[in-house]
Amino acid sequence: MIDPVATHNILAAAVAGALVILFGALYALLFALARLKQRPAFMLWAYLSYMFLVGAVAVLSVTLNMHGFWQLVAAVMVVGYFIAPRLIWRLCAGTHGPEISSELGAIRN
Amino acid sequence: MADTPWWASENVWRKWAIWITAFMAVVLIFLTFDTVAKITAGGERVPGYDVINKRIFYTFNPDRNMQEPVIGGDAPLFGKMMSAAEAEELVNLGKLTVQAKNCMNCHTLLGNGAYYAPDLTKAWLDPAWGAESVREQLMVSFLMDPTTNARTYGTGRRMPQLGITEDEAKGVVAFLKWMSSIDTNGFPKGFTPIRQEESS
Amino acid sequence: MSIAALDSANLNAGQKVAVKYFTVAMVLFLAQCLFGMLAGLQYLQPDFLYNVLDFNVNRMVHINAMVVWMLFGFIGSVYWLVEDESGTELVGAKLANLNFWILTLAVTVVVLVYLFVQTGPGTKETIWFINEGREYIEAPRWADFGIVVCVLIFFYNVAATFMKGKWSGISGVLVLDLVALAGLYLAGMFYTTNISMDQHWWWWVIHLWVEATWEVLVGCIMAWGLMKTLGARRKIVTTWLYIEVALMFGSGILGLGHHYFWIGTPEYWFTIGGFFSALEPIPLVAMVVHAVYDSGTHNFRNSNHPALAWLIAHAFGNFFGAGVWGFMHTLPQINLYTHGTQWTASHGHLAFFGAYATIIIAMIYIAVQKWRGDVWMSGDLADKGWKWKWSLGLLNVGVIGMTVALLISGYEQSFVERALEGSTWGGYFSAQTQPWFVQGMHWRMLFGWVTTAGVVLLLWDLATIGKTETRRAIDPTATPATT
Repeated sequence: MIDPVATHNILAAAVAGALVILFGALYALLFALARLKQRPAFMLWAYLSYMFLVGAVAVLSVTLNMHGFWQLVAAVMVVGYFIAPRLIWRLCAGTHGPEISSELGAIRN
Repeated sequence: MADTPWWASENVWRKWAIWITAFMAVVLIFLTFDTVAKITAGGERVPGYDVINKRIFYTFNPDRNMQEPVIGGDAPLFGKMMSAAEAEELVNLGKLTVQAKNCMNCHTLLGNGAYYAPDLTKAWLDPAWGAESVREQLMVSFLMDPTTNARTYGTGRRMPQLGITEDEAKGVVAFLKWMSSIDTNGFPKGFTPIRQEESS
Repeated sequence: MSIAALDSANLNAGQKVAVKYFTVAMVLFLAQCLFGMLAGLQYLQPDFLYNVLDFNVNRMVHINAMVVWMLFGFIGSVYWLVEDESGTELVGAKLANLNFWILTLAVTVVVLVYLFVQTGPGTKETIWFINEGREYIEAPRWADFGIVVCVLIFFYNVAATFMKGKWSGISGVLVLDLVALAGLYLAGMFYTTNISMDQHWWWWVIHLWVEATWEVLVGCIMAWGLMKTLGARRKIVTTWLYIEVALMFGSGILGLGHHYFWIGTPEYWFTIGGFFSALEPIPLVAMVVHAVYDSGTHNFRNSNHPALAWLIAHAFGNFFGAGVWGFMHTLPQINLYTHGTQWTASHGHLAFFGAYATIIIAMIYIAVQKWRGDVWMSGDLADKGWKWKWSLGLLNVGVIGMTVALLISGYEQSFVERALEGSTWGGYFSAQTQPWFVQGMHWRMLFGWVTTAGVVLLLWDLATIGKTETRRAIDPTATPATT
């Protein structure tokens, strides 16, 4: 069952939905940059973005009157967007691993 | 030189891609069987075509938290009770006309189409037709000569002359009446139907 | 090998066919804009061409031109890479040419009938010969069969070429995806009285094309393009193509559910559609992370600046159009208000442009470069590359401007028509006459002009870029001199 958004919350819900994706991507971007450049400051900004993402999910779940199953969807977003960049990064390192080591090898030779 | 870990190898991901796609496709196919059964005309969500012999109205169902169509007593379309076959034939003519006249590139049906003209999902129940007793004839006249009968509500937008015959117009009205009986999970939001006259 | 002139001796047999498809695609892109402008103008001047070329006809040509030019762009792209990827010659070059001309002729006939016959009586004959009246797949039934035959010939040509030459991960995914693409089209090729059933299968074509098989097709083209233009390694590219397939089909196939909220289909689609819609942005997040990762591990050199710029536009356009604009209104609690309003039009404009138009334009720049004999297309072009830069700017500003204008109108429509006025016709028209809505339509028109100017400039640039150039392109796959 769904409980449609209240009239006065339509705008807030739409903005929150957009911000979930925006902060999700910003967190992913900053997280990846922090890992790439080895800059802990970036990681701080990444976590700040993630906090905003959690906030956006909270606003979304309140305005969209999420109960029961829909709270699970909200939880999946909070957890999923947190771990997805980490998993993808590991996957990047995993798939590119031999390439980098072979390049390093080439330089050593 | 480090090897690619198993969870990042090409072979593993080829298998994952195949299995995930196959799994999702199989789930979709199962759901499709169920959905198709539920939306076949004559089921609980999509009534049979002879529903055009009945009064259709809307009530709010608090259990589902949405409005839903309710089929009432006899209310023959154009004053004639039709057999199931006759009703289907008439609705079918209407559906063919809706496609042949390219209605969906101005209107939406069930919310899909273009946004130049109003949604037709509940057109049969729209208060714009004034009273239940005159709406059939108003609708037919409008479809046959939309230029003269245009009501643009200040937008200036008029439906074009599409050469709709009287039979086709009646078919379209039958189609619209039948479509208004489909359970659309409360779409469009908070719909206010035409004032109901005494139900027979 | 000549340089700077458009010389087909620079192309292999598949690429000769490809540039034909690309040419028609670009002509149709212009047609899409022109008919979009007519339709947009009719919102402002409803009497303009009333009973001559009505909104429904203009809008139909607008969206059909788009679907067909994108398909032509995809077919062209596949022909472009098939010989290179298979390592052998195209099996049926003559057949491919014949197929191209038949398909183009059929498209021309369909459009002429749309424009000059427009509609017919409410009979099956109309659906067979004039217009099927179903959004996006309006092409009459005879043309459906023609399209299927042409796609099968195309499929045969591609698959047989890979069979003769060699298979790869990319070509495997590509061929299977083409099977799905052709097969899904069949779901739209039947008539039924039942509008719920009609819409149910219609979404199989529309959603599973646009949000699944087209995405994967783009993934294949990108994978090949990354190897060719940036020298990425095949093993990695292929692994990532599989990852993208898993993520896209994993979220996108059942993402179909978000179209099954309001068309008569059961309530369990709320659950399925809502859940998978929340997952659909994950492939986009994956791309962000991967792009950053790649920027750190490679020292890329790029030989085609317009193509790279359009690929960047693709990354952003796809993210905002499909991701942000999609998720903004996809959950049923809000979609109940936005479904079937200008909000959808806003999302549609940015998503189709960002996800597909951009990548095909990038591919065409790559094709033009080779066509002119691997001509220089990096920075420091003769005319400073003003044409490609301005067309890129105008097109992006134009489409984003239309998207924002439509969003404002769409929000206003959802609010007034649905939330306040009970979704009646009175509510609809009340919303259509509100100042915010009307202003949105004016701004959309203005940005439509900007977009069309961008397309005109783009066509001019594609026809002339590199024409006076004497330098040959740098080879991006060559090992850099120093590390």
